[in-house]
Amino acid sequence: MRSSLKTLPTLAAALLLPAAWGAVAAAQEFDWKAHEGETITFLANNNPWATTVLKYKDEFEALTGITLRVDSYQEQQMRQRLLTVMNARSDEVDIFMTLPSREGMQFAAAGWYEDLLPYTTENAAPEYDFKGFSPALVEAATFDGALTGVPLNIEGPLLYYRTDVFEKCGLNPPESLAGISEVAAELKKCAPDMTAFASRGLAPALPYTFSNFLHNMGGSYMADGKSNLCSEEGKKAISLYASLLKDYGPPGVVNYSFYQLTSLYREGRSAMSFQSSNEFPAVMEGGARLEDTAIVPLPAGEGGSHPTTIGWALAVSQFSSNPEAAWYFVQWASSPEMQAKLALEGIAPPRNAVASDPDYQAWLEEQPVRQHWQEALEHLADKGTSEVGYPIVQNPESREYIGQAVNAVLLGTSTVDEACAAADEQLNALIARE
Amino acid sequence: MDTSNSQRAQLAALAAPSVIFTVAMIAFPFCYTIWISFQAVSATGMMRFDGAANYARMVNDTQFWNGLWITFYLYALSLVLQLVCGTALALLLFRARRLPGIIRSLFISPFMLPPVVAGMMWLIILDPSLGAANYILTSLGLPPSNWLASPALVIPTLALVDTWQWTPYVALIVLGGLQSLPPSVYEAAEIDGASRTKTLLRITLPLLLPTLVTATVLRSVDLLRFFDLIYITTQGGPANASTTLNIYGFRTGFEFFQLGYAGALMITLSVMVLGVVLALNRLRNAVAW
Repeated sequence: MRSSLKTLPTLAAALLLPAAWGAVAAAQEFDWKAHEGETITFLANNNPWATTVLKYKDEFEALTGITLRVDSYQEQQMRQRLLTVMNARSDEVDIFMTLPSREGMQFAAAGWYEDLLPYTTENAAPEYDFKGFSPALVEAATFDGALTGVPLNIEGPLLYYRTDVFEKCGLNPPESLAGISEVAAELKKCAPDMTAFASRGLAPALPYTFSNFLHNMGGSYMADGKSNLCSEEGKKAISLYASLLKDYGPPGVVNYSFYQLTSLYREGRSAMSFQSSNEFPAVMEGGARLEDTAIVPLPAGEGGSHPTTIGWALAVSQFSSNPEAAWYFVQWASSPEMQAKLALEGIAPPRNAVASDPDYQAWLEEQPVRQHWQEALEHLADKGTSEVGYPIVQNPESREYIGQAVNAVLLGTSTVDEACAAADEQLNALIARE
Repeated sequence: MDTSNSQRAQLAALAAPSVIFTVAMIAFPFCYTIWISFQAVSATGMMRFDGAANYARMVNDTQFWNGLWITFYLYALSLVLQLVCGTALALLLFRARRLPGIIRSLFISPFMLPPVVAGMMWLIILDPSLGAANYILTSLGLPPSNWLASPALVIPTLALVDTWQWTPYVALIVLGGLQSLPPSVYEAAEIDGASRTKTLLRITLPLLLPTLVTATVLRSVDLLRFFDLIYITTQGGPANASTTLNIYGFRTGFEFFQLGYAGALMITLSVMVLGVVLALNRLRNAVAW
């Protein structure tokens, strides 16, 4: 036993030597200027990650000598442009932002993604540290063994609430899913001028927040290959979500997406707002909410706590005529150094090492609300599921039917049974078309 | 004669590149859309010829019929509002000829705004919680409204916003028509002692009819393919209450990747627009004076 213990370091060294030699060789071979003089095009979603990273565009161009052309659009318009370009198999776009939880399966099946896994091992800068990414996010971006994109952030819906209003009303934040209604009812009585509870109501945007209710309730979108929205858990989730918005939400909530939720909360008009962790910098803009906000994950329900956790990723087009240079941008934009910079501007890092970086820790400690945000993000990373909508190729269309079912109950045009039955019928037809 | 032919040939040669470019830019997308409307396109982009299945699918598609109804409801409501308000504004501007140019320019400024900007602006104004519209209503002691968030109100609200933006355009067309009316008819009416109302109803409006039909044709094309404002403000909601055929086609194609069916929807809409325009053109020829 002792002898075997003595030989263990030697054995380990022998095993690690080729890997270490590979890394040294890569370090010697890797050249940031290898594609100097080339031009690549990046199709960006005009969201906080892209707007922040593009502030450093000049640094990338100086480091690599590559010219970066940027096409920046709002999310829907970006997808529309991408669809046109990809259907034409055009090389107009080299790099694009993608949401694996939404379109990953669809784009992968269409063959639109370049598999980035070989690049991470064969053509990465020595400091890149691909293994430093959250394994869950890497797995969420991997389809049939191909890495479709490199994680850029970690995000999910969180419950932002006003500590001053809760204190004034003598309330504690809800401790269970069902408890949200009770707290909202008390808030409505105590602070009638405020919206007690706000969340997404716009049909295609709503599944992002609703999914967390469904999963915490113990429900699932599919069971035995069929739509499962009309399960007891599904019906309870629809009923709770719709009634919270109907009874305690803002007027016009049926058209609410992230934009309106952020505006409402930042203006101090809602007491509880269930919205994206990604909106944290925008919510805190102006500083009015820095002192009076706390952030927690959605309380657990009968099925436990299964928060929605997703992340944007950076992908290289299968039709790019310059995938090598495009990969240089991907690794620069998702490098530990860049992600550490972005973290200090409120972009939740998808790397554990960045999250524990002293600079980031110091930034978090400046404001208690930042610490709440980070703790909630850790809960997302630990417990999260990326299932938003149906796990099928036609995921975007499935989200529409979920949204319509909740909207029908919210607007009072259908009962829960009618709404979920209509949705199940449409969703089963969609699943059958796969 | 030879010189004239030669000049014509030179002019044709000069115009040919732009004509070819324009025709190609119109013809290619149209022909491609027709072709794709006969294909079954899977979510992964695979295509196979599927005959008229996409067109047959429309017959039993409640969303299609809903979209058709909403398209024509919005079209009719907006058109009537814009013709009435545009004519009234043109008459006002025609009578107030001494109005300073800057004020006249302000009247016509809304249609200079890109529809996306107008959409964002009205989205903020009409927000039931944060917007100015409900603040004004409640300040006047009136009940707040749900504007774009109520299935019953969303179409009238969109029609009102579009009317705000495009009434000045109609007014400009009508103003042009007013300025071309023969003064002798008005002099005769004045000598006969006709009142202002009678002059308006029996002389001005009948003489303006060809101009009004022209305005109707121009606005019809835009209103039947109404898109930007709806997409920016409601994305077809709430509960599909503002999903016109154009919005439905767009979402089917660009969000749900059913390009074949989206092509069929768009061809159907194009045929409808063409039919309406041809019918209105015949009407315009009939009322021309």
